[in-house]
Amino acid sequence: MDFLVSSFAEALGLIGAFSPDVVDAVRTSLSVAAGATVFAALFGVPVGLAVGLSDSRWKGFAVTVLNTLMAVPTVVVGLFVYGFLSRQGPLGALGLLFTPTAIVIGGTLLASPIVANYTLASVRGADPRILPTALTLGSGRFRAVATLVGEIRFGMFAAVIAGFGRVVAEVGVAMMLGGNIRGYTRTMTTAIALETSKGEFSFGMALGIVLMTVALIVNLFLSLLQRR
Amino acid sequence: MTELYRLRSVTKRYGSNVAVDIDALTIDSGRLYTLTGANGAGKSTLLGILAFLTPPTSGEIFYAGERIDWKSDMVRMRRRKVTLLHQSPYLFGGTVFRNVVYGLKARGIAGDAALRSVGRALETVGLDRFRDRDARELSGGEAQRVAMARALALGPEVLLLDEPLANIDRETAVLLETVISLLPSRGTTVIMTTHDPDPPVGRNVGSIVLEGGKVAAPRISLPA
Repeated sequence: MDFLVSSFAEALGLIGAFSPDVVDAVRTSLSVAAGATVFAALFGVPVGLAVGLSDSRWKGFAVTVLNTLMAVPTVVVGLFVYGFLSRQGPLGALGLLFTPTAIVIGGTLLASPIVANYTLASVRGADPRILPTALTLGSGRFRAVATLVGEIRFGMFAAVIAGFGRVVAEVGVAMMLGGNIRGYTRTMTTAIALETSKGEFSFGMALGIVLMTVALIVNLFLSLLQRR
Repeated sequence: MTELYRLRSVTKRYGSNVAVDIDALTIDSGRLYTLTGANGAGKSTLLGILAFLTPPTSGEIFYAGERIDWKSDMVRMRRRKVTLLHQSPYLFGGTVFRNVVYGLKARGIAGDAALRSVGRALETVGLDRFRDRDARELSGGEAQRVAMARALALGPEVLLLDEPLANIDRETAVLLETVISLLPSRGTTVIMTTHDPDPPVGRNVGSIVLEGGKVAAPRISLPA
């Protein structure tokens, strides 16, 4: 027990002292997660809207695919992207493997199904009178959908925040595609895995505290938006 | 009076269920019609078709002499001449003004013209002081009046009303009855569903009765 208490105290000291390694890992984590979230939103929101508003007989299949993609393990996403970005892969010449960009690509693939599914859930949960009301008041299809998006905007924000939460807390993609390079691609999660295995428990705990704080803030935002 | 709608062999099916099956129906312009029938008789479906929101499964619809092509942009243009007011209308988030100006904006009407239209419409339903109120904080009767103002602001050729007098207080009902009864004299065709066989909404009222999706007995109640 003393070990945990002293490690916790030491971890708080590292955070309070703005340890450069802690700051680097936090900055890298937040920046790649933010980048991946932006791309995931650009891809996932339109897909979720399109599926949600579709009358196609393929809609059920599309929903199943989105649900399946959401359940894909992070290491499988990492493996898949690794295959493309490795030197022998089709995109190997770009030299992206073990760069923050590679983590952003993996994070985008990871977060997009989540953003799409949450968006789809928002559309399904939207008041069914919104579209007919907009249409009967003279809107074209595009304006009516824009009105719908405006009415369910909090659900959309929740979708994007859920995507961010997924990327910032994952370790498989960051480890496989980033390579855990100190000061460059080392994220909070990969740093925790490495430092703990090296016996630097308090350092790992410091990052764990920051990660939990980020997760707490993200979930507070989510519950706030879901209440609206 | 001139013919506004003509429906010929119009059906609407949902799977194996036939919601509407009308051999022939003519609706004149500038008149008020009641649309009655039991629950499930197809009243709301017919209103959706007349509002150009619900394409029929088969049949032809003529509006002002023109055959409606449901796959062309013509439907959107015709839809702008017709406004459907649901029994439980949806008000968009934001102010009453945002709701009432919505359809005007969709038509590219802004500035003073929009302000005047919104002001007149709100005045007609007695809500001229509600312009900046949050639409989501209104009572049921007030919301119904805002929805009516939102429709009136557009000056539609046709106003379709789905149970406009149901579930509202007596004061609001009297006000809406008065507003509705005056519309035909201004050239607006009104078709309203109701469970009341003789609603107090004016004279020379046309009647469309639906039974199992079919027109049962078109009749006209003439002035006493």
